[in-house]
Amino acid sequence: MDLQLDLLINAIIAGLLIGGFYAAVTAGISISFGMLDIVNIAHPAFIILGSYIAYIVNARLGIDPIVTSIVMLPAFYVLGAAVYQIYYQSFEKRGQESLRGLAFFFGVLFVTEVCLLLVFGVDYRSVSAPYIGSSISFAHMEFPLRLLVPCAVSLAMFAALEIFLSRTFIGRAVMAVSQDPQALRLMAVDPTRIKRIAFGISIATASMAGAFLIIIQPVIPSVGRDYIGRIFAICVLGGLGSLPGTLIAALLLGVIESITSVFYGPSWAPAVSFGILLLTLAVRPSGLLGR
Amino acid sequence: MANSGNSIIVDGIDAAYGAVRVLEDVSLRAGDGETVVLLGTNGNGKSTLMKCIMGMVRPSKGTITARTDGQEHDLVGLTTEQIVDLGIALVPEGRRLFPRQTVEENMLLGASRRKARAQIKENTEFCFEVFPRLAERKNQLAGSMSGGEQQMLALARALMLSPRILLIDEPSVGLSPLLVSRTIDAIKQLKDHYQLTVLMAEQNFTQAIRIADRGYVIVHGKIAFEGGSADELNNNQLIREFYLGL
Repeated sequence: MDLQLDLLINAIIAGLLIGGFYAAVTAGISISFGMLDIVNIAHPAFIILGSYIAYIVNARLGIDPIVTSIVMLPAFYVLGAAVYQIYYQSFEKRGQESLRGLAFFFGVLFVTEVCLLLVFGVDYRSVSAPYIGSSISFAHMEFPLRLLVPCAVSLAMFAALEIFLSRTFIGRAVMAVSQDPQALRLMAVDPTRIKRIAFGISIATASMAGAFLIIIQPVIPSVGRDYIGRIFAICVLGGLGSLPGTLIAALLLGVIESITSVFYGPSWAPAVSFGILLLTLAVRPSGLLGR
Repeated sequence: MANSGNSIIVDGIDAAYGAVRVLEDVSLRAGDGETVVLLGTNGNGKSTLMKCIMGMVRPSKGTITARTDGQEHDLVGLTTEQIVDLGIALVPEGRRLFPRQTVEENMLLGASRRKARAQIKENTEFCFEVFPRLAERKNQLAGSMSGGEQQMLALARALMLSPRILLIDEPSVGLSPLLVSRTIDAIKQLKDHYQLTVLMAEQNFTQAIRIADRGYVIVHGKIAFEGGSADELNNNQLIREFYLGL
């Protein structure tokens, strides 16, 4: 087989695998920004927090980062619900959420980052797990396990979220809450409670995304910033409020970035992905699967 | 009125938005299985009265008592969610659907009320029987439907709550005369099937009194006339000329 085709196939595989990881990183934003109209710019900080928790437990006890992140889900949920409650009491209740709410989340982002910096310093931290470093080969294709495992767990998380949102009463209320909170009251549903639950879930996804991140690459407190632009791009490209759209957009962006990096150099990757985002929005302003 | 059945009693309420007084000493009653209309033109306080009953506007004076499932409840001070949970549903003015959700999703949101969850299947079937159009369009987004279809969906969504008392605010707004007539017929059909107590606010006098047992005319936030029967309302020439401009 010729080398070019080999490179292309492996670039696509790597792109899909990294795209699965992007999907996990974006899931929380897709809920908070896409469904609740909450511009949670601090989401990457919660992801990094998840990374560091996975790191400590891994370094001290040798436990797998993904196992840690699943055990930590309830704690992240409670953290998210608490952050929402503060946001609600201070901003949303008074109708001041748009600008001051944004400033609030910027604050949360920086405070979290600085706290992590003070505790862990600026050194790169990484985890060890049996699957990091090895890979499966199949024909000419290469599946690095440190990408494959997070991607698979991420897809499972997406499936669970989508089932929750489309099949349960609370899930359907989450999708409707930002369209008309007052009308939701007329369905005997408290919109504030729905938003608190949904925001808790959105932060809970950061626990898992954090574990995936530190499996894929070493982490420093400010690494979340590299992802902010990409996260919002994927969320908008997929269509606000659509989890399947987010997944497709994440895989698409992963593949595009990977192919661009392999054939034209990594520095072109962001330009090409944002170019695609702009083109898509010009043709379909509501995103791929936006309603 | 006995202590049974589903009824609502509004007694002497005042309500205001800031310094603007909207309702003054309003009393009305809808007894078990009755269809009561609240007539009046725009800006006379019909919607505000509906909102007071639903806990969306708090009256400054007076009481609102509802009887559902054999229990009496004082509604003033309860949240909207608690009031809906008692079995009192409102089809709001302007319909207030969730535009980016499908017809089916809108209806299932109506079924969020705990007591209604066991009846989802039968409620859906009955709504689709009364409004076959909704069955055809169940996967369409609510925001992309016509005004008449949206009004059907708003009614269906409220019925998915399995209410005992149904409040309907201006069902005729934005509909063609033919659709208004059909909507009024549908309300009658739903009412009979579920043995609902209905309180309907409406400006379309001729259509509304077709299905009304009794009615009130509200003018400048006060009850100006109380008709003990549809005929009484119909034959009150003074009311027709002065308040309804017919």
